[in-house]
Amino acid sequence: MTDTVLEVRNLKVAFPCPGGVIRAVEGIDLTTKKGECVALVGESGCGKSVTAFSIMKLLRTPPSVSRIDKLQLDGQDLSHLTERDMERIRGKEMAMIFQDAMTALNPVMTVGKQIDEVYRRHGKLGKREARRQTVRALELVGVPEAKSRAKSFPHELSGGMRQRVLIALAFACMPKLIIADEPTTSLDVTIQAQVLDVLKVMQQEHDVSALLITHDLSVVANMADTVYVMYSGKIVERAPMRELFTAPQHPYSLGLLASVPKLSDEKQSFVQIPDTVPHPMHKPSGCYFHPRCSSSSDRCERHMPRLEVGANDRQIRCWHPLHQERET
Amino acid sequence: MIVNGNNRHSDALLEMESVSVNFPVKRAYPFSKRQWIQAVTDVSLRVSMGETFGIVGESGCGKSTLANAMIGMIRPTSGTVRFQGDDLFSLNRQAFKAARRNMQMVFQDPFSSLNPRFTVYDIIREPLYIRGGVSESDMKGKVLELLNLVGLDEEDLQRYPSDFSGGQRQRIGIARAIILNPSFLVCDEPVSGLDVSVHAQILNLLMEIQQSLNLTYVFISHNLAVVKNICQHMHVMYLGKTMEAGAADSVFSNPLHPYTKALLSAILDIDVSRPRERVLLKGDTPSPIDPPSGCRFWQRCPFAMEGCKTIPAELVNVEPDHHVACHLISGFSSEQKAAGFAQPLSPQHGE
Repeated sequence: MTDTVLEVRNLKVAFPCPGGVIRAVEGIDLTTKKGECVALVGESGCGKSVTAFSIMKLLRTPPSVSRIDKLQLDGQDLSHLTERDMERIRGKEMAMIFQDAMTALNPVMTVGKQIDEVYRRHGKLGKREARRQTVRALELVGVPEAKSRAKSFPHELSGGMRQRVLIALAFACMPKLIIADEPTTSLDVTIQAQVLDVLKVMQQEHDVSALLITHDLSVVANMADTVYVMYSGKIVERAPMRELFTAPQHPYSLGLLASVPKLSDEKQSFVQIPDTVPHPMHKPSGCYFHPRCSSSSDRCERHMPRLEVGANDRQIRCWHPLHQERET
Repeated sequence: MIVNGNNRHSDALLEMESVSVNFPVKRAYPFSKRQWIQAVTDVSLRVSMGETFGIVGESGCGKSTLANAMIGMIRPTSGTVRFQGDDLFSLNRQAFKAARRNMQMVFQDPFSSLNPRFTVYDIIREPLYIRGGVSESDMKGKVLELLNLVGLDEEDLQRYPSDFSGGQRQRIGIARAIILNPSFLVCDEPVSGLDVSVHAQILNLLMEIQQSLNLTYVFISHNLAVVKNICQHMHVMYLGKTMEAGAADSVFSNPLHPYTKALLSAILDIDVSRPRERVLLKGDTPSPIDPPSGCRFWQRCPFAMEGCKTIPAELVNVEPDHHVACHLISGFSSEQKAAGFAQPLSPQHGE
């Protein structure tokens, strides 16, 4: 297909540790179409950030050991590129929005200068022209008085403003793919609503594909077109957003959806998934979710199910997929 | 003014009356003007026995400061805190300590609130150990009993916090908080540091414990959906002031303050079947040093009027057990209207 922007085939990442090997990502396939927002959802430790970093080729070897059959960005093979080639691609062809703006930005450099850098490096612009572009980029993401704000240091800005700067930075060269790693987790609810709005408008207006990494299902409901649910290093379900929310097929997806407190809930009842995520060094046999699953059987205990492709581009990794509509 | 109705005098466990907390800001130069962070300004509330009382607001609105003032960890700049009828800050040392035993706290971050060099046993028994007068074997029995209550095993006793996941650590924190049989527990964002699938576990555990031990909770959160599900009364705070207060049912079924409405619409609902119109607030929360005059919310309020800039909004009773501090609700007097105070500000005022 020509409109595929990102294609990842069989990505595996492991971290050898004293006392065992942590298999963070165990064979993941991902595709992103042009202009589509794909969400990768999972709890902490499920390998979603490692996936993001591997796509950007930002993971160092050692400590990590990774294997990938195919990593293509807009038809270009990235899997064999050297670090120097990658530097040309990061920021220009694909860019990343990090979770914590305070650590992602350089504290001793004004934010304007940090965005200038992108234009000067990738756009080959002069100093003055780069600054003009920077101010325009900041205005696009809704930073008021962009010209003077460009001269501020990161610590002089509020959390929401810093996150906007990161978005401006990522969209500076209008890359083909934006990877947003928990872009709003550290923000307050009202600010989160603002920032997500900016991100959505930028992504849709400029027809950029986005890979959204998050644990927050409400963010997914408001942003994503397609959702991958990840558990313990494996994709357990892939579905169009609406279908996942109305008719999840994997018990884990259902559990995640049910455990989010909703304003429409009855009082004093929280649906819970028992137990916790398995330790990445001691994963259970068979299906990784079976110890926490209510519909698990002997088969689940012994054999890991394959990722089956179903109707409507859905994928499901479960021996006993759910078929009924979820009651709301 | 007492906020939560008048018929609940007898069963009040904790009362706060016009409590304000200010913190001095470190001076940049020796003789520069002394500045104050007005963390909490003129907050009154009453928590009844056995209920769950919610405090909602964004970061920096003073909710944690208020919680610390409640249990006497911070002395308010002005106002009184009464616990079981006694003014907490006029008690003598011994009586204060006795009162403090009855009020405990569950902290937000289960990673920094447990000593990494203590075993689980040491952590949970420490309050008992400090109080003294308990034999080692009794202590052990009590710790084991609590460990079972919060869902951990006996073999976990000699392990260290680093061996546990966030949810399990929070369970340890809860066990430590209830070992002295308190009657009052302050939960300061107890689940916001945890994974989604563990949220429900911890919340359910807290509810079970409340039932079986007959506890009173103050539950601090920014998650309105959680507050709606577990709280009977609530306060919505913004920049140190109460914006809306009352019975959770009436606040949620009929939110009146523009800030409450904005908060409610900012919660992204996962219910995809009914798309909602969202009210986006402009700008950021202003600094609590030199907070805005008048209503603290006017700069971000989509419905602000001229008078909101200068006249502070007082809490008024709108229906039984429901109070709002907003000029839109309370209105202006005829003289104020004549002075143009009811004129709406231009929509661009917040930018």
